[in-house]
Amino acid sequence: MTCEKNRNYCTAGVSESIGFLLIFTMVIAGIGLVTLYGYPMLIQQQTSADDQIMQKNMIVLQNDIKSLAYKTVPYKETSLKVGGGVLTIHNSAYTPASSEITIYTDSVNTYVNSFHSGDLLYTSVSAGTDISLQNGAVVMRRHDQPGSIVLAEPRWFYDDQTNTVVINLVNLTSKEILSRAGVGTVQMALGDVNYTKNDIAAGIPIYLDYSTYINSDGQDYSFAWDNYFINTMKMKEIVPSTSPFPLLPQMKRKTYELKMVDPLRPVTLVIKQYEVNIRSL
Amino acid sequence: MAGLKDDAQWIVLMGFIVSFSLFFIAIVLNQSTVVGQTTAEAVLEFPKNDLREVRDVVIQSAYMNDEGGLFNNKTNVQNDIRTLSLSRQNAVVSFSNTTSGSFTYGEIHYNNGVMAYSESWTSH
Repeated sequence: MTCEKNRNYCTAGVSESIGFLLIFTMVIAGIGLVTLYGYPMLIQQQTSADDQIMQKNMIVLQNDIKSLAYKTVPYKETSLKVGGGVLTIHNSAYTPASSEITIYTDSVNTYVNSFHSGDLLYTSVSAGTDISLQNGAVVMRRHDQPGSIVLAEPRWFYDDQTNTVVINLVNLTSKEILSRAGVGTVQMALGDVNYTKNDIAAGIPIYLDYSTYINSDGQDYSFAWDNYFINTMKMKEIVPSTSPFPLLPQMKRKTYELKMVDPLRPVTLVIKQYEVNIRSL
Repeated sequence: MAGLKDDAQWIVLMGFIVSFSLFFIAIVLNQSTVVGQTTAEAVLEFPKNDLREVRDVVIQSAYMNDEGGLFNNKTNVQNDIRTLSLSRQNAVVSFSNTTSGSFTYGEIHYNNGVMAYSESWTSH
């Protein structure tokens, strides 16, 4: 090659210091790019991982509640890491409640009156999400959007053969408002359980009122519950609401009619209320 | 450029392959915890023992009669089965049975919101 024949010609214009500077600049530019773009991406990944872990954790807690309520296990304990946000228990006496449920056939026959479920709420400012465990369901909303979704459904069901509707309401209680960030143990104990079995004559519609506070710090999961009532439970929304009960000015309400499996047969309406006591977070 | 040996480039190549495969393994592992958990739950949720117990007592009660006292009376026991299933197992249970000649036969229906089970049984 030419280089071997004429060394001077080959290395003309080549300087060690300029080469070093070029390489050094490339290294610094590389580090700079990684810091500028890579680091925020890492943080974002961390936030979304925290969010996903918390979604899974809430489903684990929902399973604990299922064991307490449906399998009459007296006590459950789960250790979890709450990352990127805070887990808080708002007991059923907390105001404003995230929702209120009333089940009735008319103004006299009310089976559940203004039921407050209380909720176990995970709020993450960095991920911009709220995940709430309420009434046996896990629901989630984003701070910048008005809607909400159901991550895990509660266990309400119809039995076609006996024409029975079973509605499970879970009431979370705690001595005080507790909250937790970081590693903690959620201790839950089963409190009072009561159930009512109501025989309702054929053809009488059963209504459910779902009310939320208008000014509830954004804790409005009515979209999620609306989806559950209409798509899963096949209820029918009554517009405008025909509810016989007075509506407080700070609340809004939706009225649903429960699906009749067989309108020609009498319906058995079973309403179970479980009290789950959160001992610690 | 003299004397540049390029027969060790496979080291760089292997580096790429190993890091990409680690990346994919990480994604798969991340998903597997969720899948494993939901599968385990589905298995735990299936009320096998509840169902067996209910079936057992329902069939036992089919051979009772209404002549016993308060606690030994077929109607009372069968109502208790329905009430207990609903309050303790959160399950709607309905059943009926008939005895004709030396045969007893009946139907059992069980539904706890996770699964529904129906059975017709006949004694031998």
